[in-house]
Amino acid sequence: MTAQSNRAAATKSVFGALDRFGDQRVLLSIAILIALPWLLPSQALAVNVLIYGVVVMGYNLLFGYTGLLSFGQAAFFGCGAYVTGIAIGRYGMPWFAAVASAVVVSTILAAVIGVISTRTRGIYFSMVTLALAQLVYYVALQASSFTGGENGLRGFTVDRISLFGLQINFLDPLNKYYVLMVFAAAALWFQSRILNSPFGAVIEAIRENEQRARACGYDVERSKLLVFMLSGSISALGGCMLALHLSIVPLDILHYQTSGMIVMMVLLGGARSFFGPFVGAAAFLILEDVISLWTPHWQIFVGAIFILFVLFLPKGIWGTLLETLPIARPRR
Amino acid sequence: MQKAGSKPTELKISRRTALAGLSAGAMAVAMPRLGRAADDTVRIGFPTPLTGPFAAEARDQVKCAELAVKLVNDKGGIGGRKVELLVRDDKLNAGEAATRTLELIEKDKVHAVVGALSSAVQLAVNEVTRARGVIYVSISQSDTINEAKDFSKYTFHEALNPHMTTAAVAQHTFKKGMKVAHLVADYAYGHEMLRGFKRAQAAIGADSVGEILHPFGAADYSTFMPRLMSMRPDVLCISNFGRDQANAIKQAVDFGVKQQMKIVVPVLLHNQRLAVGADVFEGVVGGANYYWGLETQSKSAADFNGAFRAANGGAIPTDYGAYGYSGVASLLQAMQAAGGTDTDKVVDALEKLQYDLTKGPQHYRKCDHQSVQSVLVLESKKKSAMANDNDLFAILANDAGSEDMLRSCSELGHAT
Repeated sequence: MTAQSNRAAATKSVFGALDRFGDQRVLLSIAILIALPWLLPSQALAVNVLIYGVVVMGYNLLFGYTGLLSFGQAAFFGCGAYVTGIAIGRYGMPWFAAVASAVVVSTILAAVIGVISTRTRGIYFSMVTLALAQLVYYVALQASSFTGGENGLRGFTVDRISLFGLQINFLDPLNKYYVLMVFAAAALWFQSRILNSPFGAVIEAIRENEQRARACGYDVERSKLLVFMLSGSISALGGCMLALHLSIVPLDILHYQTSGMIVMMVLLGGARSFFGPFVGAAAFLILEDVISLWTPHWQIFVGAIFILFVLFLPKGIWGTLLETLPIARPRR
Repeated sequence: MQKAGSKPTELKISRRTALAGLSAGAMAVAMPRLGRAADDTVRIGFPTPLTGPFAAEARDQVKCAELAVKLVNDKGGIGGRKVELLVRDDKLNAGEAATRTLELIEKDKVHAVVGALSSAVQLAVNEVTRARGVIYVSISQSDTINEAKDFSKYTFHEALNPHMTTAAVAQHTFKKGMKVAHLVADYAYGHEMLRGFKRAQAAIGADSVGEILHPFGAADYSTFMPRLMSMRPDVLCISNFGRDQANAIKQAVDFGVKQQMKIVVPVLLHNQRLAVGADVFEGVVGGANYYWGLETQSKSAADFNGAFRAANGGAIPTDYGAYGYSGVASLLQAMQAAGGTDTDKVVDALEKLQYDLTKGPQHYRKCDHQSVQSVLVLESKKKSAMANDNDLFAILANDAGSEDMLRSCSELGHAT
């Protein structure tokens, strides 16, 4: 074996495996996430990358892999966060039970929104999801005795958790990061499992050619609804993580701007790539975090950088990286 | 597989180069964290909405907070320790504010947090600080933060609250049997102001003839004005903030509302009056925590104005700016009294503190840590009556601070 092929093999294992190999991509993604708090300027930022990474990953299943451009993903993100907070603060549920019930409730919400929206296509689908998500926003605004309305949901701080008899101080940023990372790891495994299943091939077939998928005998409507629910449940898990992290749920989480930010993150990182959502979330949040420390005009810079990406790197950061390295071509 | 037509790219990145590059990148990003060596500087976190609709008020707050820090540092700091103000943009977003506050506490190791402008943001900051036992002095108007549910021993509220301002304004404008109509921004701030006005109305014996809610950030008020005029009130209360206030008053004037009724606002904003002009605001009455013209009546105001002018090239401090000053300066006074930054000692010192920074004596009430302070009632001057460009308002009343102005401790749910 020549030195060059050795080197190529090494690089391949670093860049390629993340997108090429079923189980390894999960492990490699987790390895990167374990190192994350040591690479970013602050742990609060690292936790945010983790949270938005999971939310965007859920969205990527819908947008990147199935090709459905939804503008309403904030509804599930917010629903997960609100139900977690209400379950802990109002009903005194243990935090893991709160997370479980939040994911279940959000999946039901996704089923309702999905039944209505997946009947439409293209721009109509985008508009229907946007409208229904805004409906959820106004429900949260008006039901202020449950949600805190404009002031946001408060009063459910989780400061201590016990795992197998072990008391963990959840206010410590590193402890919090690694506890929440377990959720992210579970979501990564779940997403990988979906993509490796026959169903994963079906949704990509729907993206590539809906007519042909239908002609092949796949139930396109039911597949779309199912992927909508799966996507909603993963994004809702991100919402649960946010509620545990911030110990508040801001009303803005349900706003359409949050949906827009999720779309931006997936485009920045690279739609259709397994680890792209985390890269996109990290890039967006780091840009925002670092630039807004320098100047109050940070939006100009973030906007300009985003435009440059859309013009010159339409596959996003991770997508382009995988594309440029010839040996690390993503799965097609 | 190569795509047809694309050049075969030769792989040039060796593992060593990749590793070196990666670690250099990681170092660069991690630098700010490593750079924070252990020192004895007193650090105050200051989250404020530098971007968004309240940016003008936020900038004034920062200027005044920096002045408070500078004055203490010029006199040798807190027991020889230098004071540093860490300003962060909360983007008027509660989630962003909570993240920034976590960063300030976990990474920057601040000793206390002062700031916030909107109700939701201050409650978010408070939730983060109280769980971690960090002192927070809020300078945003809110009734909610006084209530037992959101209170903690670390929570202090330097700003006026809606209950105080509306009561003062109503007392000087409402009369028994008057008819009052309300135009209210449909969010927490507007709702709290409306509640305050209605309570004052009931006490005085004025009658409500109707209320209209408008969305936060509305640009067009033309549909509301004919409806408000058809209610034939004697007084119109416009309870909103920032640009909403300027836009609503401007359009009310265009509709000839002022010929029919008096316009009253809970808080008359310096910057909005400057943005719109004297003719539009002429005769509008509203409350305020501070107005620079107080310097003829109060030595503290004259001193504060003087220090601000010296530091800012002759400019005058605004109402919201004064909050930034008194919030930070009262905390620093308490730290000086406590002889350092030990949280329990500073909380104790804040509870005992009698301070007079901008407008007369103030202190924090024991049960809810609300600052007991005077409330000004101002009337916007007409152009011909203005002595100079900064001579915006006439002071109608200066109600001295008293605990009677506040809701009682038991009403707020505190153990008495």
